[in-house]
Amino acid sequence: MTGMLAMDISSLTDVIVPTLATTFRPAPILAALPVAGVNWHSVLFLLFAALACGFAVAVVAADNVVRMALYLVFSLGATAGLFFLAGAEFIGAMQLMIYVGGTLVLLVFGVMLTAQAPLVAIKASSSDRTLAAVAGASLLALLLTAAFSVDAWMAPGSEVVPAPSATPLGMALIGVRVDTPPPGSPAGGRAGYMLPFEIVSVHLLVVLVGAAYLARAKRRKTPRAIDAVASAMPVEPVVASTASGVASGRPAGGAKSALVGGGR
Amino acid sequence: MNPDRNLGTLLDGTLHDTLAVSLPHFRPELCLAATIVLLLLCRMLPVLRLVDSGFLALGGVLFSLFFAWNDVLTLGGGAWASSLGDLLAGRQELFGGLLAFDSLTAYIRLLLAGFLVLFILFTKVSGIPDREDGADFYTLVLGATLGMCLMASANHLLMVFMAVEMASVPSYALAGLLKGRKASSEAALKYAVYGAGAAGVMLYGLSLLAGVLGTCHMPTMARALASLDSMWMPGGTGMALAIGGLMVAAGLAFKLSAVPFHFWCPDVFAGAAAEVGAFLSVASKAAAIALLLRVAFGLGTTGSGPDHAVQMAALGETRHFIVGVVALLAALTCTLGNLAAYGQTNMKRLLAYSTIAHAGYLMMGVAAAVALAGRDAGASRSAVAAVCFYLGTYVFMNLAAFAIVALLRNSLRSEEIASYAGLIRTNPGIVVATGVVLVSLIGLPPLAGFISKFLVFSSVMESVSLDAERPLMLVLLVVGGINTVISLFYYLRVLKVMTFDPPPADRTADAFPLVSIPGALVTALVVPVVSLGIFWSGLYAFARFAGAFAS
Repeated sequence: MTGMLAMDISSLTDVIVPTLATTFRPAPILAALPVAGVNWHSVLFLLFAALACGFAVAVVAADNVVRMALYLVFSLGATAGLFFLAGAEFIGAMQLMIYVGGTLVLLVFGVMLTAQAPLVAIKASSSDRTLAAVAGASLLALLLTAAFSVDAWMAPGSEVVPAPSATPLGMALIGVRVDTPPPGSPAGGRAGYMLPFEIVSVHLLVVLVGAAYLARAKRRKTPRAIDAVASAMPVEPVVASTASGVASGRPAGGAKSALVGGGR
Repeated sequence: MNPDRNLGTLLDGTLHDTLAVSLPHFRPELCLAATIVLLLLCRMLPVLRLVDSGFLALGGVLFSLFFAWNDVLTLGGGAWASSLGDLLAGRQELFGGLLAFDSLTAYIRLLLAGFLVLFILFTKVSGIPDREDGADFYTLVLGATLGMCLMASANHLLMVFMAVEMASVPSYALAGLLKGRKASSEAALKYAVYGAGAAGVMLYGLSLLAGVLGTCHMPTMARALASLDSMWMPGGTGMALAIGGLMVAAGLAFKLSAVPFHFWCPDVFAGAAAEVGAFLSVASKAAAIALLLRVAFGLGTTGSGPDHAVQMAALGETRHFIVGVVALLAALTCTLGNLAAYGQTNMKRLLAYSTIAHAGYLMMGVAAAVALAGRDAGASRSAVAAVCFYLGTYVFMNLAAFAIVALLRNSLRSEEIASYAGLIRTNPGIVVATGVVLVSLIGLPPLAGFISKFLVFSSVMESVSLDAERPLMLVLLVVGGINTVISLFYYLRVLKVMTFDPPPADRTADAFPLVSIPGALVTALVVPVVSLGIFWSGLYAFARFAGAFAS
């Protein structure tokens, strides 16, 4: 995410700010105040960026699952704000609807309904935290270097690209591209999105069936055929380094205790 | 607005592209989707519930197989009987460039549909899933296969990601098929968490690549890559592209269970039912290799055109990068997979590591194919053909191995290698079948595995002799040779336990006899392993037809 933000800094502040600065002339009353010369677009960008990053850190730092989910809502909401600032209203709205409105509300409900006292607080050991911090920081450093190494992403944009309205987006979803390509983009390869739009519905159907299968706790009419082979499944995964002879003494049916069966 | 951007013209164009060009080549996938819907509809009415979901799924897959075979026929036109030079890939872009339809698509789809037929028959014999779970199980299997078909034909980064997800997410649920069993739930959770992480990393990599190149359409990306100069100058795009490429490689390596992204594989295979293991180890692997070929050739080569030679030369650096990454992953995967297989006491875990090692061999072939692409197009096609042939024999070898594990589990109630001790005294037929499969997995003549390995190694050798990435390929050749020797020991250890060790005292049931329905299934799967080792030219002609995609 941070890499993307780095991209956004250059594009936003340099490309869109000049237009906004001319569009939104400060009201006369503001001119008298000391904030008259402030570039509001940059201020808002920094605000949303700081909110997104700060709450993302808070998600990782928090111990309580419910709070983590709430912080995630704020972080993703701020990201939607960044999309709106960049002029990508559609993506911003989708971000709000899908992540903030759908996924996360579901997540919060799921957490609140299922989290029992021992599971609410998640405490990582300090060695885990150190390891995660080192791995995360090095990945961040790598991505930031990569993002800032591209001159084209740092240079001020020469032209303001008008954001597509809902009509070309809707047309693209049924497979017709009516929008004009942005200047400087390679010729060709502009596909409509009918296939992904349609095929994802099959995918969602299949995944729904899978989720229903896993969540279903219906009493079975007949005992499962596979329950007869309980001993075939090791309770614990066999450790890779176990010598070949050791496991031969495993009692047959040792896995029975792990059986809950489908008949709950 | 110029006249050719008139909305009516655009709509007509889209309609023609969809109905006349794309959908006729999309029939195998449409059959799978229709079967999924039928499977679910049959649960609605009590009368329809009498329909066995396994046979319904089998019917749908047979239709899919028929259309896939039809596509191969129309595309090949019998051309595979003639010389390699005459082969044309017949490349077409479907749905405005989202999918590519060519000989590789047709071959992999045929392979997947054929595998599904055998797989459904195998699940009917082995009894997992039973009637109650059948509709859910086959829906998930067909849904995952639909994603795998898309993996084999993806031509656009969006489809790459969607296809990987469509193949993966149903697999997570399949891993948890044995509900209420701790190992199974653990496998599903582990698979889902690792999979989500890998998907996130891959998506970031894809967005970096698309951000630098300004498009998601792979042939256009290749042209943009060819036109990039001063990539490695300060301020150039080289680093962003390299990191994006590595992140995409990580996502693909997860699907391939390549080291160091293989952790999920042994746990998932050990926790899930052997039937699910068979599906993941064969179908998922074949699709992942096809996707690797798609991405590697999509970004590293360009189609024929007036400035073909210039562009191919300009893409040399891209191919060098791809070959480096794939070859390194292949060497690591092969070695670690084979070494870790040593200490295994559970047959499914052993086969999981064997699957990892075989992914390594397959990736060696892909590395050689990409390395040769800039040097000699014909040799590159042969290398792709070698990989496709390997996949073709791998279907029978691994499905037979997992079938034996599942059917022995049904009778012996155990999947530990030690519980197979002394089976030769009661069931010599099964031991011989297992022996054939394992020796073929090692790659010894005269079995199918030998021809596969020989073809892959000879294409690596070819790139050494043609001086395409010579040092790297030389290393690969040595690593592959050493690994084949290493693998000898752990496969043969299973045979040693089966033949020389005394049977355990507490064994209550005998294994199934060879003259029975399960025995017939094992025989039907083992016979191709032997016959493809001797009469291999037919399948190889098919594989060469698939290799023609690397034009």
